[in-house]
Amino acid sequence: MMPSILLQIIFVPALAALVILLFRFQLGMKAGWVAVAGLAYTTLLLLLAFFNVYKGAPIEETYQILKSPDISITLVADGLSIAVAFICNILCLALGTYSIKYIYHRIEVLYPETIGNKGEISWYACFYYLFLFFPVGFMGVSFASDLVLMYFFLEVLTLFLFFLMAYFGYYERVWVAIICTVWGIFSALFFLAGVALIYSQTGSFQIEQIHTMSGDPLAFWAILLVLVGMIAKLAIVPLHVWMPWVHAEHPTCIAGLLAVYANIAAYIIVRMLVLPLWDDFQVFGPYIMVLAVITMVYGSLLTLAQRDMKRIPACSTISQSAYSMLGIGALTAASIEGGLFFFLSHIMGKTVFFSACGLVVYMTHIRNVKYLGGLGAKMPITALVFLSGGMMLAGIPPFSSFAAEVVMFAGIFERGDTFGLVIGIIGLMAILLSISYAVHFTRIIFFGPLPEKLANDDHIKDPPWVMLAPLIAIILLSAFLGLYPTLVMELFEPVISSAIANM
Amino acid sequence: MDIQLAWLCLIFPFIGVLVTPFLARISTTVMNFGAVFFSFLAAACAVMLFPLVFSAENLPLESQLVWLHTPITVSFGVLVDPLSIIVANVVAVISFFIMVYCLGYMKGDPGIMRFWMLMNAFIGSMLLLVLANNLIIIFIGWKLVGLCSYGLIGFYYRDEKKYWIGGPEPYSFDKPSACGVKAFIVTSVGDMLMLGGILIMYFYAGTFNVLELYQTAPEWIPAMAATPGMIILVSILLIAGPVGKSAQFPMHEWLPEAMSGPGPVSALIHAATMVKSGVFLIARFIPIFYYGYWTAGVEEAMYFFLIVAWIGAITAFLAASQGLVALELKKILAYSTVSQIGYMMLALGVAGFSQDLLVKGYAAGTFHLMSHAMFKACLFLCAGTVIHAAHSIYINDMGALRKFLPYTWLFMGLATLSLIGVPPLPGFWSKEAVLLATLESQHMMLFLIVLVSVIFTAFYSTRYFGMMFHGRQSRHIKQELKKPHHHVHEGYLPQTIACGVLAAGIVIFGLMGMRVEYALYGLFETQLVQDLAHSTVLSVPSFDKTLIMVLSISSVLIGVIPAYMFYIARKWDADLVYERSRLVQVVHAFLWNRWYINAFYNWFFARGVMGIARFVAEKIEIAVDTVINKLTPSGVFGLSSISVWFDKKGIDGFLDGLAYHVQNSAGGTLARIQNGRIQEYLALAVIIALIVCGFFWLS
Repeated sequence: MMPSILLQIIFVPALAALVILLFRFQLGMKAGWVAVAGLAYTTLLLLLAFFNVYKGAPIEETYQILKSPDISITLVADGLSIAVAFICNILCLALGTYSIKYIYHRIEVLYPETIGNKGEISWYACFYYLFLFFPVGFMGVSFASDLVLMYFFLEVLTLFLFFLMAYFGYYERVWVAIICTVWGIFSALFFLAGVALIYSQTGSFQIEQIHTMSGDPLAFWAILLVLVGMIAKLAIVPLHVWMPWVHAEHPTCIAGLLAVYANIAAYIIVRMLVLPLWDDFQVFGPYIMVLAVITMVYGSLLTLAQRDMKRIPACSTISQSAYSMLGIGALTAASIEGGLFFFLSHIMGKTVFFSACGLVVYMTHIRNVKYLGGLGAKMPITALVFLSGGMMLAGIPPFSSFAAEVVMFAGIFERGDTFGLVIGIIGLMAILLSISYAVHFTRIIFFGPLPEKLANDDHIKDPPWVMLAPLIAIILLSAFLGLYPTLVMELFEPVISSAIANM
Repeated sequence: MDIQLAWLCLIFPFIGVLVTPFLARISTTVMNFGAVFFSFLAAACAVMLFPLVFSAENLPLESQLVWLHTPITVSFGVLVDPLSIIVANVVAVISFFIMVYCLGYMKGDPGIMRFWMLMNAFIGSMLLLVLANNLIIIFIGWKLVGLCSYGLIGFYYRDEKKYWIGGPEPYSFDKPSACGVKAFIVTSVGDMLMLGGILIMYFYAGTFNVLELYQTAPEWIPAMAATPGMIILVSILLIAGPVGKSAQFPMHEWLPEAMSGPGPVSALIHAATMVKSGVFLIARFIPIFYYGYWTAGVEEAMYFFLIVAWIGAITAFLAASQGLVALELKKILAYSTVSQIGYMMLALGVAGFSQDLLVKGYAAGTFHLMSHAMFKACLFLCAGTVIHAAHSIYINDMGALRKFLPYTWLFMGLATLSLIGVPPLPGFWSKEAVLLATLESQHMMLFLIVLVSVIFTAFYSTRYFGMMFHGRQSRHIKQELKKPHHHVHEGYLPQTIACGVLAAGIVIFGLMGMRVEYALYGLFETQLVQDLAHSTVLSVPSFDKTLIMVLSISSVLIGVIPAYMFYIARKWDADLVYERSRLVQVVHAFLWNRWYINAFYNWFFARGVMGIARFVAEKIEIAVDTVINKLTPSGVFGLSSISVWFDKKGIDGFLDGLAYHVQNSAGGTLARIQNGRIQEYLALAVIIALIVCGFFWLS
């Protein structure tokens, strides 16, 4: 096994960011490929780690930061974290590649005065050294074994997201970046308050020590605080209002990563609250399920009414994030594993769906769907990618979201109570709304006659392969995991099913 | 080897999907024949499986791989039993002929590669559904079939006017892309509910495997029955899927619009495959609920059969009545399909009504599925040829086409006679089997409804056939004939061959009708009674079979004779009857508007959901967004302005004011003390000293 593999996975993107920052003028427009190379390397490392964990050998690395006082950090890759980290990293790699062309176009629009001079290279490099802190943050959160480290990486994500939004976003981008940061801080403060409460009772920041708080009356408040923070991050109704703005106005090339940014909260909830504080968490289950179902329906209805290309997937994220929470709230091994598998499936689907919307905007420069139509004739592959993204979100086989839904809803019905039964059936019917908006918008954007303006525009065609290929790769990955879901489920099993069985 | 054949049967069409783009690179012809070849391989495998039904005691055969083993167990495998063999043969063989027909029909279409890929994917998915050994894999096939049909119905996604259906003017038209969306969403309603039913069943049974569900029914059915209402709920959820997919009431409204796809697609979806999947699945569920009621004594299990039977009967009547007035040829055939599937559902439903009806009802439903697949595929393919020839989708734009399309007239005539139920064609035998099972169930209301449907079927079938091929040429046909390169003639050779083979099949199948019926009866007796050990009683016919034949033929004549007089002999004038009778006009409007069900669904579901969505987006969301993202920051800034005011006026003001007053009043007063006169300083010091001493003395 390669030494310090987890540390490398976290810090290689940061190192690549540093190289891009320092040598931006020498690298020029190759900065994107440096980022991609860094992420390709970490993907290989993750593959190595993945198979190691799959064989039943979790990885643990401890690094001493200070001798006196004794401060050290521990990184852990078990079945749960490696699956999350692997998919997140693949998405970063795909979107890093997608951005190579896309961000150039964005700079052209935002900073036309810099085109052809050093300013252009500066902005291009700027995007990539900021972008690379997403994989740093995601890997950090995935592998963190203590709460301070987790908090640190969460804040890294919020911080760098602010700059990416403010520099490369769409309309009112600075205002939206501020909203995003304020909500990020809101979540972080609740999270931190919960962490402080846990520390006050356990005397440790280690996640593996949280279980010692079980049964403590303060466990309820610790869970509540962290849960509020994470619900805001997941954009569960009524704490969802940041999502349409932030998702709609950010640069499309980081769309999938924003979905991860929001949805990784589901992983945190399972890792930090559900598994260690199983008994104390039970009381929250029904409320989470009700909120989740409301959000699923509300988010889908909101999506159906959208006219802005970028707001469509934005509102869809609200709905889709809630699926994972529904599974987690049902509190059975199958529902939790299904919920987390759905989280992974959703971020893949959302990356494809959102990026396909980005492709349409990229080629047509139109965001209002009212002025679109018939693009399937000119952009057939994009149409297929868009539809596939929609199907990935709607849980249509062979995509992994179908297997995730089956496992999750089997777990929900496994509760065996009337409440679970009713919520489960409503949840299944809510999927119908996802199917509806997927096919509805495919029709509006890609089917029907081409408007004259678009028909006469010779520039409208399928985008370059460097933008399409990463999305097709994600579609294939999702289909592969849908055909072979055991791969992920066997990783989850020792962490979740076994842990719950022992409670 | 037999089980490998089953695997190959479902794998070949998917291989066809994958290789089609590569074959296209060689040449279009290679791609065309390549795509058809893979459907041929699937059909060949299915046919090679067929001999197994003659040794039913060796069935079922099963082969499986583990798809998922944690946290739930799902295997991926095939199940070869009499039902799956029969339906797989129906699907694969008829699909192959439809593919052959497409060689001519789709010639030169720019989207031909997409078409072949979707067709093969559709066939493969359907075979997956039929041959799968467990409910989740069946559901995967089920969803894939829906997805492919979405692509095929909306095949002409550019919505050119020539592909619109509906009308004629001034009535509204439907565009292909909208029709595909409607079909997919409506069928998905049933799909999602059915998935819920399957998962609830899994909770009790602990397995998705079909055979295990049958075998372990004695354990889990009573457990499920312990929760009052649970079996009824599960029944409704499970039936919802087939109701949606097979376009049964109340989810039947998608099928008429699904005609916007190419002609062979209609044949594939509405004859051989997708709409039959619901019937197939009901047949799969029957042993479970039959066991529940007749062996375990769970009263609620009877609701499954009651619901299925009533849905079948209502749909048979409702759709047939709509077929009476429709003018679009493919839409009439679609109504007819919906109605005929109602017959199958009815037969399967009554199978659970008594112990002597299990095999009878089951065999009748399956028999009608087989015969209907054959004659309806033939009808749709012939319809495709006629529509192409006449250049119109409306039967009132046709007329006297017999001399231009003699072969199509013959083939479609045979298929129509079978649909009507004329002996000795297969439709007669299978319909008679359905009628007999219904009559023996002693539910006279169901029997009357289905008998009236037989009359309607005979009427609308004679009507469309007469309006197409007999009488006078319509003005439209006359205009078409004047065009130099008109198409008012037979289609390409592959089209005629495919229709001819199916028509020949109808005749042969009809001549063997009685034998097939008995063979099916024996086959299902082996499967249901011997293998699954369902308790049945010996069938003692309550009614003479001759009575059924008389009733059936009489009903046919009641429908055929007036239609013949109106549309073939033209002795009676339908327009005159319409103009003179207010009642006929009202009934016509009611039926033309599809009982207003479609309009109600559009208003309630389509507009209703979009209305709610707009309300959520434009009212609720904007209000919440304004409060949280706009008013809250404004509030915070408002509070900060109070803070600024307090800071300026309160703290700053107090200190500044204090300083001012200290400077101007207190300062001035105190300044008077600092006058430079030492004696005054001394006096002041003594006074202060006395005050301090006095203070201490007093305290």
